[in-house]
Amino acid sequence: MKLFVMAGRNVFRHTRRSVITALAISVGLMAMIAMDTLINGADKQGEKNIVDFETGQLEIFAKGYYREEGAFPLDTVIKQPDSLAAIIRKIPGVKTATGRLKFPARLNNGEDELPVMGIGIDRANEGSVFATPRAVIVGKFLAATDEIVIGAELAGDLKVKVDDVLTVLVRDRNGTYNAFDLSVRGLLSTGHPLLDRNAVLMDLETAQRLMALLGQITELCVTTADDPKRIAAIKAEILHRIGPAYEVYAWDELNAAIFRIMGMKRLFHFLVALAVLIIAAIGIINTMLMAVMERVPEIGTLKALGFSNRAIVMMFLYEGGLIGAIGSFVGTSVGLIISIYLSTVGLDFSRKLGNADFNMPMKMVFRGEINPATVLLVFAFGVAISLLVTLIPVRRAAKLEPADALRHV
Amino acid sequence: MIETIDLQKDYKVGKMLYPALHGINLKILDCEFTALAGPSGSGKTTLLNIIGCLDIPTEGEVLLNGKATTRLTAREKSELRKKEIGFIFQTFNLIPVLTAYENVEIPLALLNLPREEKEKRVVSMLKEVGLGDYLKRRPNEMSGGQQQRVAIARSLVKDPKLVLADEPTANLDSATAREILILMKDLNEKFQTTFVFSTHDRLVMEYARRLVNLRDGRIESEQSK
Repeated sequence: MKLFVMAGRNVFRHTRRSVITALAISVGLMAMIAMDTLINGADKQGEKNIVDFETGQLEIFAKGYYREEGAFPLDTVIKQPDSLAAIIRKIPGVKTATGRLKFPARLNNGEDELPVMGIGIDRANEGSVFATPRAVIVGKFLAATDEIVIGAELAGDLKVKVDDVLTVLVRDRNGTYNAFDLSVRGLLSTGHPLLDRNAVLMDLETAQRLMALLGQITELCVTTADDPKRIAAIKAEILHRIGPAYEVYAWDELNAAIFRIMGMKRLFHFLVALAVLIIAAIGIINTMLMAVMERVPEIGTLKALGFSNRAIVMMFLYEGGLIGAIGSFVGTSVGLIISIYLSTVGLDFSRKLGNADFNMPMKMVFRGEINPATVLLVFAFGVAISLLVTLIPVRRAAKLEPADALRHV
Repeated sequence: MIETIDLQKDYKVGKMLYPALHGINLKILDCEFTALAGPSGSGKTTLLNIIGCLDIPTEGEVLLNGKATTRLTAREKSELRKKEIGFIFQTFNLIPVLTAYENVEIPLALLNLPREEKEKRVVSMLKEVGLGDYLKRRPNEMSGGQQQRVAIARSLVKDPKLVLADEPTANLDSATAREILILMKDLNEKFQTTFVFSTHDRLVMEYARRLVNLRDGRIESEQSK
């Protein structure tokens, strides 16, 4: 008679109790996996939107610009973008680069006016660094100098459609008020709230004329052909080649605040998961404590038959481990099914949450991303915690003198 | 041979000490069929437990075939019980999730025996106690007498030198108790195993070849037949 067989039969000695305990573990682990998938997906979507629509993998500014970026310091711009881009494109690992000119503006439809961020783009190179041309959902991407593309949500706010004409008002580099009437060529849906709600994209030359910054840009955005892990090395090489008049930042450095939020979110996720697991662990302790207490005389019998303390501990460990493994298997399986749904269909929060943006560059439709390592870890964790909490009541019972165990009522 | 030397056992309840055995000196020879008789609280079970290495005396020594057992480690005692001592309990103490076959097989699972040998021994022992057709029955599918027979088979299957039985007939009706006693006596003779059992049942005392009467933790009298 193998210990494992005895443990297996003991699991089904009180089927309902074992099922409830396994279920507690299942629910805990299922929640952990589904939450991880959702948060992982949200993080990945946020990261992708930053790189695809806002920064590229690296951004180059004139020295001092980035520190005051929020105030749009138009005196600190890149004055020879073409020669700079030529140097950058030659650096090994760099795929290409494109310039952008960002500035504060107001967008007027004749009745209402909204503050926006104007972004002048290099039409020829924009698509090789950013995904904006592919994010047009109505109309087309910029093809001429007198056109703009705006976010579909901004268009909704201003009640405009393709081919309508909007006035872009700015104070140019010299402090002079300036306004251009530009027709809406297309509407964007990127998933990045900055572009969908607050940005107006126009031809770079138009933006330069509007801002009195002819031939100048605020930033040069770079994409690399290499492994993303090499970005730091490429950044160092760029800095080495272009000298101290410029500064270079990787996309994650530019969004440090967002990554701090992501970190806090992960910590919160971990704490919630820990609380769920503690509740499940209490369930196992309770079950195993009852199993041990009601079987103390049986432990005495087994000891009388020659079972060692170790063999008795092992038998109960198999039992607790089996309940944990069944619970963990069911939990991770259901968690995985939910995760597959989340990663393929996703969750649409747009109706419930409206335009809330959570300070994250992502859509209100959350798509999860399964992390196989998490699934395996969670399964192992479920079994390990079951074994660990089983040890607590069993070790004491196994140490009883056989006569004391046999006398136990 | 079993020898107890000045065995004393006190139980501590709170701050109070309750003496259970007062200097028991007893010798039991190989193959004896001995009953420890006495009223409840006389120390029968305590004495059996100490002889069987299930409990520790407060003072004194137990020699099993000349070997002192009271200072053995838990592991050494466990080894001794595994190989040399069989137990029969008042409440049968079968493992409820196991069949009769599996219950009898438990002591052999701890010994390194080939599977065929284990199977042969278990089946033969269950036949010996009259349960050859009950191999797959679980304890809750058997009568008290049948359960006690399984327990007897379990105690003897590893071919121990000594079987200790604590009130083996206390939970049985008199007819079944008689059957069990006859069976134990037959097995004692057949396997030349030493049987020591505790009882306060007159019937059991009738079957014992040697009767040791205990009262208040002391040997009151002894008689051999």
